[in-house]
Amino acid sequence: VKRLLLMPAVVVWNALFWTYERATWQYDLMVITILAFVWLTPPGWLGDPTASGPGLIQWILEKIR
Amino acid sequence: MTFTGAIGAACMFPLRAIINLCVALRIHPNLLTFIGVLFNVAAAVALAVGRFVTAGVIMIVANIFDFIDGKVARELHIETAFGGFWDSVMDRFSDISLFIGLIYLYAQLGRTDYVMVTALSMMFAVMTSYTRARAESIIPKCKVGFMERPERIVLFMIGAFTNRMAAVLWVIGVLSVVSVADRIFYTWRELRTVEAPQ
Repeated sequence: VKRLLLMPAVVVWNALFWTYERATWQYDLMVITILAFVWLTPPGWLGDPTASGPGLIQWILEKIR
Repeated sequence: MTFTGAIGAACMFPLRAIINLCVALRIHPNLLTFIGVLFNVAAAVALAVGRFVTAGVIMIVANIFDFIDGKVARELHIETAFGGFWDSVMDRFSDISLFIGLIYLYAQLGRTDYVMVTALSMMFAVMTSYTRARAESIIPKCKVGFMERPERIVLFMIGAFTNRMAAVLWVIGVLSVVSVADRIFYTWRELRTVEAPQ
């Protein structure tokens, strides 16, 4: 139970204190997370001065509304 | 194989041909490094005028030169300490040029918030390289932290081609801060072990 409770903290620590090589599954996961942030976040949320288009999350929210 | 590994392997095919051509023509690697910087400056100008796709294309060309210089040096058996030093210094010029291009663009648009985001990202990008260089003058290796130059360059290209530069700047900024902190912490930990009284 203690190990399970500590797991999220370990994951966060390993992601922040990065020691993995390129072309590992951890690296792939980090890349996917970054690409998701870059491509899915609506540019309006970040006040992007140049971006055009709503971004995927904004597009989905608009469809739901 | 991981998907980033597969992308890297796929990119190696055309690069191999370019490396072979440069070796056959015996082009000096230091010249390749310098040409890479000139292309990066051109990419910065394209960013400054808001021509993101053009900037992305120029960045690809620039980074081909950047990538192959070391490999050409090895294959021509002319690796020198100065070549490594020259490469590192030119890399900083290339890095800073791209950030300055964006700072100019955001200043022109009257967006002081993004001028600051870009300037801070630039500061921590440079500090990421500096902390490693300085650390490796006192400890053998300091290869920690995610946001190194190849990651920055690929992110710049993604931002340019998909017009998501603001998100890219946030990622570069935040992860560069974390990388600098990683390197300071790692160096402190390594030195504490070495310098601990016996």
